[in-house]
Amino acid sequence: MPRIFAALAATALALSTGAARAGPNDVLRMFNWNNYMTEEAVTRFEARCNCRLAQDYYSDNEEMLAKLAAGARGYDLLVPTGNAVEALIKSDQLRPLDKSKIPNLKNIKPQHLNPWFDPGNVYSVPYAYSLTIVGYNVERMRELGLPTDSLAVIFDPQYLRKVERKVTVLDSQRELFAAALKYLGYSANESGEAKLKQARDLILRAKPYWAAFNAASYFKELTVGNVWLAHGYSNDFFTAQQDARNAGRKFSIGFSIPKEGAVFALDNLVMHKSGKRPDLAYQFIDFWLEGRASAELTNAIGAGSPNQAAMPLIDPQIAANEAIFPGPEKFRQLEMLRDYDRRLRRTLSRLWVEIKVR
Amino acid sequence: MFLVVFFLLPALIMVVASLRYPGEFGGLAPLVSTRPGEEAGLTLESYRVFFSDWVYFEIFAKSFGVAVLTTLVCLLMAYPVAALIARSPKRYRDMMVLLVVLPFASNFLVRVYAWMIMLGPFELLFSRFAVICGMVYVHLPFMILPLYTNLEKHDPALLDAAQDLGANAWQRFWRVTFPLSLPGVFSGSALVFIPVLGMFAIPEILGGKDDWIVGNMIKESFLGTRDWPFGSMLSLMLTLAVLAVAAAASWLAGRRMSRA
Repeated sequence: MPRIFAALAATALALSTGAARAGPNDVLRMFNWNNYMTEEAVTRFEARCNCRLAQDYYSDNEEMLAKLAAGARGYDLLVPTGNAVEALIKSDQLRPLDKSKIPNLKNIKPQHLNPWFDPGNVYSVPYAYSLTIVGYNVERMRELGLPTDSLAVIFDPQYLRKVERKVTVLDSQRELFAAALKYLGYSANESGEAKLKQARDLILRAKPYWAAFNAASYFKELTVGNVWLAHGYSNDFFTAQQDARNAGRKFSIGFSIPKEGAVFALDNLVMHKSGKRPDLAYQFIDFWLEGRASAELTNAIGAGSPNQAAMPLIDPQIAANEAIFPGPEKFRQLEMLRDYDRRLRRTLSRLWVEIKVR
Repeated sequence: MFLVVFFLLPALIMVVASLRYPGEFGGLAPLVSTRPGEEAGLTLESYRVFFSDWVYFEIFAKSFGVAVLTTLVCLLMAYPVAALIARSPKRYRDMMVLLVVLPFASNFLVRVYAWMIMLGPFELLFSRFAVICGMVYVHLPFMILPLYTNLEKHDPALLDAAQDLGANAWQRFWRVTFPLSLPGVFSGSALVFIPVLGMFAIPEILGGKDDWIVGNMIKESFLGTRDWPFGSMLSLMLTLAVLAVAAAASWLAGRRMSRA
């Protein structure tokens, strides 16, 4: 899942794609993540379809679902993560896709087709993805002799002692529990209460060494050097890496997929039933799947591209980064989060409160 | 009428929401079951969970601690400022009040992020200290303004009279100014204490791992867990707790007034 980068950047983008540009009457309305499409792609698409692309933004799936539930109407396209696609399908809010109008679907890598949340891609096509992994200050980790390929470094007190109060973990129940469960060798979607409690105990043992639960600014702290090790999203670490390099820091930022596995979040294009311009939506989907726009997004924010045709256009350094484009062996260890039912959500929230208080 | 629309009605909606089952994808489960096996209707489950576990009381206790501390620090910092403004020549006063509210000209979140930049280099970020700093910083004007409005109305002749009767500076403050300013102290304290309890952004941005307060738990119930009934129940409990504190304070104040 992409994170909020800067509210200001989003606003600027909204202004330039929105009200400021007086375009033709044909408008494609899209509800997308903040900062999840490059300006070049918008311009090219608008020239091609002779229409205007109007984007509104959200910063997490819950926010998007809540706005739709509260009556937001008229969005032709949404970009939900897998579990949110499932929720939208179950509540009958999506239009099935006519594949004959999306010839470029052939560009999607086979490993990203036919996902569990939408077998046969009846309603969704992959847009971009991110991974929940570990990012670190390369020089500090080397000095301290800490492993960077394992979740042990954020959970095992033996390592944590050396980086006390220089570690942050995501302020997200599901993500942190997923990491703990993976470290214990279970599925990220484990539903047994005993195993969840085991994960809680693991988290409580490691917590005294952490600096904070943080999902909003950890990558900035990493860039500045206040934090040396973080549990977070691949996009954010990519940004931190670029920022540290551009600022000429004496250290560099690295990130890698832990050997225990990681959470994989696939965002998808879907058509909402309330959309008024399915014709333009199909044009956009096919445009996106061509590959160039997807490659630009990867080059700009480090989002993973599920598109084979995008690969030649991606900066070779990024394309070679295993933590953004994992090889087949690593890919098998990745897991998408599934929604917990309400009972399990309450159980987890109870454990979470304990973690936050004790 | 105002109270009915902006307090009673939302409170009633909260009561009803807190008695329902959470929906599968957020929101509330329907009142009437549409599918077999689906939970619907009203339940006391949220309340049962809340009262069967000490951990929730711990959070409430901690939140009240943070709120009390913030209020006290605000009071100590705001009093001299308010007094200074109140005693300045009239033509400067408006300017000084304007300066007090000037920070509101920039967005609240931007100002809290500014604290991150200030505290970061001193290794004070992500701590209880940082949370209190942020809380005090954001709420200070709400303490200064009512105090100033109150202090401004004091008749300086009272202090002269006290001095003539032989009261020293401390006695003049403690026996004359302070008792007269109590209404300002109480309204300022209420304006700081209550919003602090519901605040979630500051602990989230500046706080460390132990700095959750009730506000965070309510936010997490709605957005993280998608458990609206539990969140509504927590909000209701918070409202009740605040009302209890307010009642206790006004009772104490009333007693003090009647004694004086």
